[in-house]
Amino acid sequence: MSREPAPQPDVLQQVGAIAKGMATVFKQTFRKDNTEQWPKQIVAPPERSHIGRHLLNKHENGLEKCIGCELCAFACPADAIWVEGADNDPENPTSPGERYAKDYQINYLRCIMCGLCVEACPTRALTLTSYFELSFTSREEAIWTKEQLLEPPPPLGTDPVDREG
Amino acid sequence: MSEDLVTLTIDGKEVTVPAGTLIIRAAEQLGIEIPRFCDHPMLDPVGACRQCYVQIEGQPKLFTSCTTTVAPAMVVRTQNTSDEAHTAQVANLEFLLLNHPLDCPICDRGGECPLQDQALAFGPGESRYREAKRVYEKPLHLSALVNLDRERCVLCARCTRFCDQISGDRFIELYARGASQQVAIAPGEDFRSPFSGNTVQICPVGALTATPYRFVARPFDLSTADSVCPHCSAGCNLKIDMRRGEVVRQLARDNLEVNDGWACDKGRFAFGFPDSPDRITTPLVRDHGLEPASFGEVFGRIAEWTEGKRVAFLSGGRLTDEESYALSKLARTVFATNDLDHRRHLEGGELELLWAAGLTGVTYERVERAKAIVLVGLDAEQEVPILHLRIRKAARRGAKVFVIHHRRTRLHDVATHILCRPDEVAGLLAELAAGTSAAPAGLAGAALREAGNDGVMLIGAGALDRPGAADASLAAASATGARITMVSRRANDHGALRAGVHPGLLPGGRPIAVPEDRAEVELVWGQIPNYRPGRNARQILEACARREIDVLFLVGVDPLRDFPDAALALRALRNVPRKVVQSLELGSLEPYADAFLPAAAFVEKDGHFTTWEGRSQRLKPLRPAPGIALPEWEIFASLALACGSDLGFETLEELQEELGGLVAARESVPDWPPSPAPPPMAQGLELFTYPLLVDEGRLSEGAARLKAALQEEAFVEVHPQDAAATGLAAGGRAILRTEAGQAELPVRVTEHIARGTVFVPFNQPGLAANTLLSGTFATAVTLEPAHAAAGPSGGPADAQPEEVPA
Ligand code: SF4
Ligand code: SF4
Ligand code: SF4
Ligand code: SF4
Ligand code: FES
Repeated sequence: MSREPAPQPDVLQQVGAIAKGMATVFKQTFRKDNTEQWPKQIVAPPERSHIGRHLLNKHENGLEKCIGCELCAFACPADAIWVEGADNDPENPTSPGERYAKDYQINYLRCIMCGLCVEACPTRALTLTSYFELSFTSREEAIWTKEQLLEPPPPLGTDPVDREG
Repeated sequence: MSEDLVTLTIDGKEVTVPAGTLIIRAAEQLGIEIPRFCDHPMLDPVGACRQCYVQIEGQPKLFTSCTTTVAPAMVVRTQNTSDEAHTAQVANLEFLLLNHPLDCPICDRGGECPLQDQALAFGPGESRYREAKRVYEKPLHLSALVNLDRERCVLCARCTRFCDQISGDRFIELYARGASQQVAIAPGEDFRSPFSGNTVQICPVGALTATPYRFVARPFDLSTADSVCPHCSAGCNLKIDMRRGEVVRQLARDNLEVNDGWACDKGRFAFGFPDSPDRITTPLVRDHGLEPASFGEVFGRIAEWTEGKRVAFLSGGRLTDEESYALSKLARTVFATNDLDHRRHLEGGELELLWAAGLTGVTYERVERAKAIVLVGLDAEQEVPILHLRIRKAARRGAKVFVIHHRRTRLHDVATHILCRPDEVAGLLAELAAGTSAAPAGLAGAALREAGNDGVMLIGAGALDRPGAADASLAAASATGARITMVSRRANDHGALRAGVHPGLLPGGRPIAVPEDRAEVELVWGQIPNYRPGRNARQILEACARREIDVLFLVGVDPLRDFPDAALALRALRNVPRKVVQSLELGSLEPYADAFLPAAAFVEKDGHFTTWEGRSQRLKPLRPAPGIALPEWEIFASLALACGSDLGFETLEELQEELGGLVAARESVPDWPPSPAPPPMAQGLELFTYPLLVDEGRLSEGAARLKAALQEEAFVEVHPQDAAATGLAAGGRAILRTEAGQAELPVRVTEHIARGTVFVPFNQPGLAANTLLSGTFATAVTLEPAHAAAGPSGGPADAQPEEVPA
């Protein structure tokens, strides 16, 4: 099969296109740099940007908001969440009501930070924070436990691992 | 069948169904889904939820399709084609949700809830109700197994109808009216029905939930697979749900030919044993203590031990058909012994032979359609619960049911009980065969005769221990024209028998002593070295005790707990030099075994279990066995190789092909000599025993909730006149003395036991009744009241037999 040769564009048109392209290049070259020098310089992310790890929230009285319903795990497209429910001890409850999360884990090697889990949560127990400083040296470390997730994130730039970098 | 057929139109499509069909069923045949809550195919229609409205042309009002039967030329329009029906259904769903708490996130049904699903598919999407909802205390514990959240209930009456119509255990009822209507149980009462789990399964919302599954998982966590219950010979089809490889729930699977969609609570809730932390995962050999070893090492040892020695095999009732067959072939061709048995009762004579050959032809369907049913020595509810439900179903359909037993069974509301002493069974059966007397046994005979081919006799394995009962029941069946079958309790007793784990019967019920039958097996196996029928279980143990056996294989059986003579079992274990045990756990055989071989549990096996009817049902391997445990047939095949022989199959398929050829149902069986009459029973009180459903059996280990809900402590049951004669009082304690041992137990006095007999459950907490027995499940006993000063209660410790002199 032979193709029709494309019609030749005229020379002026071609020069114009090159000039337009080069103009873009020079404009960008002399623009002010936007790169953040993390971790030497910590720029606070915009408020409510929700680009970082999850937090399991608590009620003011200290009870966990999470009721172990597994809806977050169901919503997660990456299958990153593991929840096991259990019966609250009525004398010493972990969360209000009958059910609480006996086990809760998020695997950050899987999580894509999509936030669908947060949307699914019926109790607003699960939110995304802006803490994005996640680095791991092993698979186990990347699986966060319930205790870790209940802990509010430290200020950005305070993780010793990051400082070394 | 010459049923009248009716043709009607639903949503413009024509369908022809038998007259009397409900519209909702006819729509199902067309693939049209009408939303429903109260409708259940196994329960009588009630029209409680009003969800299934359809429009019928020419009728002024809407009809509930689950209660309306079809009529010729009827034109039905469902929500798909009728706005009126659609509006009514949406309105009804909104109405059902008015008081619903919508606590799906903490509800165990969430994710698999018909209310969720149908609200999504057919509901309004939003509720206009803003007022406060009705609130109840939640949950209410109906038993240790079943919880009730009344807020979630849609009052469909499925649970209460199940209890009324199917199990007959009427513990729960719909109570009060209007908005306060609720499912209720009498104050202080527990939902003590062995079928309670079925109500949880059929509840269309999360109002009834099961404690063992409470908050354990969501449907998307589970891998679900089909299997068959390992607990009894009913062979209920189950769905097994596993989370991360651990069994977390078992549900009944619909199979109209077997369990109808029901399961008993044992099958449903005793699922923990395959995940027991005590499972053995490698072979163990005793050098100084029990130490892990490789299979090769252990097989080498066993080959050494058995070389030129006298070997015997005992197995339980839970090997698959394939494993039983491999065992039978191993014993006979490699070790040249016929000393192998899986039974605990005495010889069953010709009846057993017929059963082994697959010639009895009684099925669940036969039972359901029967016009007369006679049970002999069988407590169906406790031994084969789903058969009990079929018998009740038959009774609802008009069958006359008679029970010849020593004690009243839970069929009492639908059956005539003929209570008798153990030694009277044969006499009653003769009376039944004659069918002339006006006594209940005569009436039972007459009913069977009238039913002819639709008469069924179900003979419990327990009856085979009674003098002459097996032969008498066979005679009664042929006199009345009834169909007869044996019913044995353990899941694969029947498969073991058909595969030839029996001292005198080769696979397919071929007597080894009959040359033609033996020749058929030898065509496949090659020469069978030893033609003489071997010893049965009792004789094997006696031979062990007399040191006439050198190596005893215990395959999935613990004679100390299972055999009806604990003292004999102990003597046998002490006096046989080598014991090889194949099991899931160490258990009580730990001190005696010289080698343990780790077996696979039913969820890890490929093979078949045979129901009491003779139906072979597939078990699929759902997960790998722990450690290096192996299915028993592989152990047998490798052991044969280690002993320099060969069973002739390397894969399960090869084995199955061989087995299939030999156990296919046969046309006839050879003549069988009448059983020798067991010795007559002494006068005086006679103790009898059989296992109750929820006992201390090894497969119920770890099922704490099930035991809390249904297990009873050991007791002794006596007739009021016997109680008076021996000075016992209800609520007091009695000392029982038999030839084998003694025990002290709380007394129950009841008229529902034959005079002169005493019942003790076989294996409840507080007493292992085999310490009182001497080889059969009945024995002479004396009773006396225990006084406060009496010594500690009996039990295994009291029954320590004397050491046999070396
Ligand atoms: S943010 Fe998205 S990917 Fe990450 S756990 Fe939640 S649902 Fe899963
Ligand atoms: S975090 Fe929210 S959605 Fe996840 S289990 Fe807890 S309560 Fe349910
Ligand atoms: S508890 Fe369940 S099955 Fe029973 S009436 Fe209520 S909704 Fe129906
Ligand atoms: S009736 Fe038997 S087979 Fe069925 S669930 Fe119960 S124990 Fe299992
Ligand atoms: S399904 Fe018809 S009224 Fe409930």
